[in-house]
Amino acid sequence: MPEGAVNVSIGGFNRFVGPLFRMPETPGDEARRFSFVATDKHMNSAGTVHGGMLMAFVDVAMSQTARAVSGAKSCSTVSLNCDFVGPGRLGDMIEARVRVTRRARTMVFMSAELASGDRTLLVATGLWKVPVES
Amino acid sequence: MTDAAPPLPGYVRTKLVDPFEIFVGPVFETGAPGARHFIFRVDERHVNMRGVLHGGMLMTYADLTLGAAVWDVTDYAPSVTLNMHTQFLKPCRAGGIVEVTPVLTRRTRALVFMRGEFTVAGEVIFTAESVWKLLGQD
Repeated sequence: MPEGAVNVSIGGFNRFVGPLFRMPETPGDEARRFSFVATDKHMNSAGTVHGGMLMAFVDVAMSQTARAVSGAKSCSTVSLNCDFVGPGRLGDMIEARVRVTRRARTMVFMSAELASGDRTLLVATGLWKVPVES
Repeated sequence: MTDAAPPLPGYVRTKLVDPFEIFVGPVFETGAPGARHFIFRVDERHVNMRGVLHGGMLMTYADLTLGAAVWDVTDYAPSVTLNMHTQFLKPCRAGGIVEVTPVLTRRTRALVFMRGEFTVAGEVIFTAESVWKLLGQD
């Protein structure tokens, strides 16, 4: 992993399917970036990365982003829509780029794209609920 | 987890072939092909640090079960998931048994539309709809 990457899969299901990393911010790039490397456990029998793993990864990346922009300690996925654009391969370093469309008081609207190099694997939009600090 | 017994009587282990599904499984089922009912028991591997079933696991389970239902109606023709839309209605904790009977919405020559309502103790906690492409079909 590049210098500055932070392991965000420190417990539970994230750790089980990880490691998953948050990438350092790039000046001038508003997207938040995350990555993981596809290993044997992530694959399907057709030799491509399992769609469930791609959805799990984008869910983690978008949840991390919702927490980061809201300052909340926790958040919940309300709705997630994923298009499977292309296959991921064993050994790919898969990167998520997450953008916040709108941050409202209790909701965060986001879009995300997963890519390996210049190949797009998945595009997603999703809605997260964040608790209001009282 | 490969030696786990069915969490409810009357179920058999679903035959899983994808390494990622074997990794997160097991999953169990009852009923005939085309009307299969699936269950899995949430364990410590499947929850987040707050002890709540992870969305990634639910979506993986949805892809697995709706995909199995696609196989049933296509006689195991090769297919890929084009899209999945999910809604997370209620949290679930370790020990919960997540049940689903996938429903065929529509089948065309090239596409299969599937949906599922996922319940725990009779309450819907999650819904998924997916569109599948049959490879080699226009």
